[in-house]
Amino acid sequence: MSTWANLGLQDSASPLMEQLIFFHDHALLILVMITVLVGYLMFMLFFNNYVNRFLLHGQLIEMIWTILPAIILLFIALPSLRLLYLLDEINEPSVTLKSIGHQWYWSYEYSDFNNIEFDSYMIPTNELSTDGFRLLDVDNRIVLPMNSQIRILVTAADVIHSWTVPALGVKVDGTPGRLNQTNFFINRPGLFYGQCSEICGANHSFMPIVIESVPVNYFIKWISSNNS
Amino acid sequence: MSALRLIPRGNAGGNLSQMMGLSQMGRRLASGGDGIRLMVGEREVVGYGINGRPIYFDSQDCPFPAIRYREVTPELCAIREKELGDWKKLSLDDKKRLYRHSFCQTFVEFQHFTPEWKICLGVALWLVALGLSISMVLKTKMYGQLPDTFDEDRRSAQLRRMIQLQMNPITGISSKWCYEENKWKSQLH
Repeated sequence: MSTWANLGLQDSASPLMEQLIFFHDHALLILVMITVLVGYLMFMLFFNNYVNRFLLHGQLIEMIWTILPAIILLFIALPSLRLLYLLDEINEPSVTLKSIGHQWYWSYEYSDFNNIEFDSYMIPTNELSTDGFRLLDVDNRIVLPMNSQIRILVTAADVIHSWTVPALGVKVDGTPGRLNQTNFFINRPGLFYGQCSEICGANHSFMPIVIESVPVNYFIKWISSNNS
Repeated sequence: MSALRLIPRGNAGGNLSQMMGLSQMGRRLASGGDGIRLMVGEREVVGYGINGRPIYFDSQDCPFPAIRYREVTPELCAIREKELGDWKKLSLDDKKRLYRHSFCQTFVEFQHFTPEWKICLGVALWLVALGLSISMVLKTKMYGQLPDTFDEDRRSAQLRRMIQLQMNPITGISSKWCYEENKWKSQLH
């Protein structure tokens, strides 16, 4: 989750999110270099005493400052395309989770096993425990096995919502009348928080998502202890 | 106006305007010129300048303006006669007078920084102070109380929970905690 004064991305819990973080760092490095270069050029203008009133053209420098940005853009585009295709890879999910957005809570269904269904409401601030996270903790968390490919189908019952967990690099819109599918993989145990990411009414900020990632045997125990 | 332009400049124009009893300015207008010519006065045109107009200004870009700075005077004519001869015979004072006749300021004078920056800095700081005081008033009078979860004991409980849950263990908050010794890594050694 986000901690205090968190400026950057959250630490990843998924290999794809790791790759997204690497690409973000790479692209930001290039941007910082360009900004420093341009900032230096602009700053040095304060100390420039030369004047050339008869400057008409400079073919060589114009060629350079056209070709060089094209090369820099290649350095951004190629990793970007690689990541784009990596995110679209086919894999065999072992668990399917269905997530339905309502105003203003999420409901989840696990249909692979015992047809488990439950609603997930935010815990109001006045009912939080001392160590509860305001606007983030929920009454029923989504329990998922770690180190397993997970398929998620997102939809909504009324207006458009968006299911997101930043630590896993997942954001999927839930549109009424439509099923959106995506895959993710969690590679460490813990709690991963997210918040609804499409404006859906008065309590849009108060319908969070919490994933509890557990080892596979704990997940199986949890499934068998929850009958529909 | 256009009819007057056909009259050749000089005596004819002068006679015409004298006949009409016009002033010196009127004479210049009558001789078919624009407003800029009026600024020239009696000053000599000595070149093209920056755009051909007979305007005087000091600039590093264009060191030789189109017109001299001052009008011709009898004292100047005397120095001019001297200038026609050997330049080594000119005294420093003569050279300075010749310079000041043709130019208003020296390069050092017009390139020197002005005290404008004090006003700019003053106004900028006033605006910053105004902004800060507005935000202070907003903070103290208008914004409501923070929620209970911002209390010190609740925040420390949340922090303890974050560490126990190993939130952001790679570069974030849990990476700064030493789990073996149960204290912050910066407090070790």
